[in-house]
Amino acid sequence: MITLEHDHLTFRFPDVHPDARCDIDFQRTLRIPDDDRTYYLPPGLGSFPLRHIDDFADRLPRKMVRRGGVVMPIHQAEALWINFDAAYPVAVKIATGKICAIIGQQWEEGLSQDPQNYVVLPKQPWLDGYCVEEGVIRQFVAMPLGDGYTAEEQLTGEAVHGGLQIAAYPMKRKVYEKLFPPARKPGMVFDVAYDAAPPAMEMGLAPGGRMRQEIYDDPHGLDVWDEANGSRCFVTMANSAQWMAMTGERPPTVPPTARQYAEAGLPWFDYYDADHEAIAGAEELAGLKSVKAMGQKLGKSPLPESESSGVPVVVLKPKATTHTSHAGKGEGP
Amino acid sequence: MPHFGTTARQIRERLRESDRRFSLRQVARRVGVEPAYLSKIERGVVAPPSEATTVRLARELDQDPDVFLAMAGKVSSDLQEIIRRRPKLFAELIRQLREAPDEAIFRVVRVVRDGDW
Repeated sequence: MITLEHDHLTFRFPDVHPDARCDIDFQRTLRIPDDDRTYYLPPGLGSFPLRHIDDFADRLPRKMVRRGGVVMPIHQAEALWINFDAAYPVAVKIATGKICAIIGQQWEEGLSQDPQNYVVLPKQPWLDGYCVEEGVIRQFVAMPLGDGYTAEEQLTGEAVHGGLQIAAYPMKRKVYEKLFPPARKPGMVFDVAYDAAPPAMEMGLAPGGRMRQEIYDDPHGLDVWDEANGSRCFVTMANSAQWMAMTGERPPTVPPTARQYAEAGLPWFDYYDADHEAIAGAEELAGLKSVKAMGQKLGKSPLPESESSGVPVVVLKPKATTHTSHAGKGEGP
Repeated sequence: MPHFGTTARQIRERLRESDRRFSLRQVARRVGVEPAYLSKIERGVVAPPSEATTVRLARELDQDPDVFLAMAGKVSSDLQEIIRRRPKLFAELIRQLREAPDEAIFRVVRVVRDGDW
């Protein structure tokens, strides 16, 4: 079961184990420059608001309501990262527009190991983008669905789904109890009269600038995950105007630019976990055009200025007891 | 219910063992209070702080804000507003669930609906 708590999606698997749960939220952040450089992790600027999509069913297209899940606001060209928090091991699949952000293939139910199409919690603390090379991702950047920038449109030629899709599978109880004995345990839908969305209402995610981030290999193997007891969620992304029309609430303000952040002398982050191996990037994802490159191809300038400059870097390390994140709780360099 | 100040201090000191950013002074600065005031809160010399400060402290220590507010003898203003809008319904619901085990409460909690996609 999935509940919405303080703008976090909380996945619980009470039929598997009382401790089997994980929290996922979407962090506002700076958009890193979309150039040939590879950047460190940008900061977290707080969680995006999340609402049940059913709460706005009477003013949304039927297709959108049928998908269920939640809805969040996001500005065009705004970036996000996905924050994971779990003590119990959980395998999590992430897709944008039903394209897997790890291997670049179309969404299929279940997990696969060759290639690995999921991340393993709690060792994977966050995901900032598409896995394009070993140790390198391209940042998730929101663009209007239908303008040709999203990973979905680049790989399928169609603008159908948009948003984010998540599925989570807990570790099987027997495996968990063997690997982590108790003493060592880690810490309403309305029918609507119309079906077509106005153009550019929905947002999808597209590849932005390059960033250092490793997607860790599954150290357990596919057999340990309880695929019969998974949960999944569709996260619809609404642009600012759509969000205000839907909820009557103002969306969060536009984040500062990378240059403004750097000029304020604030740090970027790096994460280092020597105990885990990173998986390779996906060819399909490596071949995607970044938003800037696609804009050049289309003869448009979709991104506002985004230059950066030299900035201090804070190194984050894995911890057993503290929830470290590039929201700022790290150890100094 | 555990004592608010004692619990906050225990959690902060545990975090400080591996991260010096959780010293009294640094946590007080990030929460927006004077170190002397946070020290008094932790020792129970003064009453728990305002709702906003309690929530900031909970988030700083990676704790659930509602649990911290309950320890401070408070209920968040958004929950109060929910109850005030439909007092009879929510008062009855809460009384009905008073002794229910957690699993039973989770069965009535609103879940995020999965659909066709």
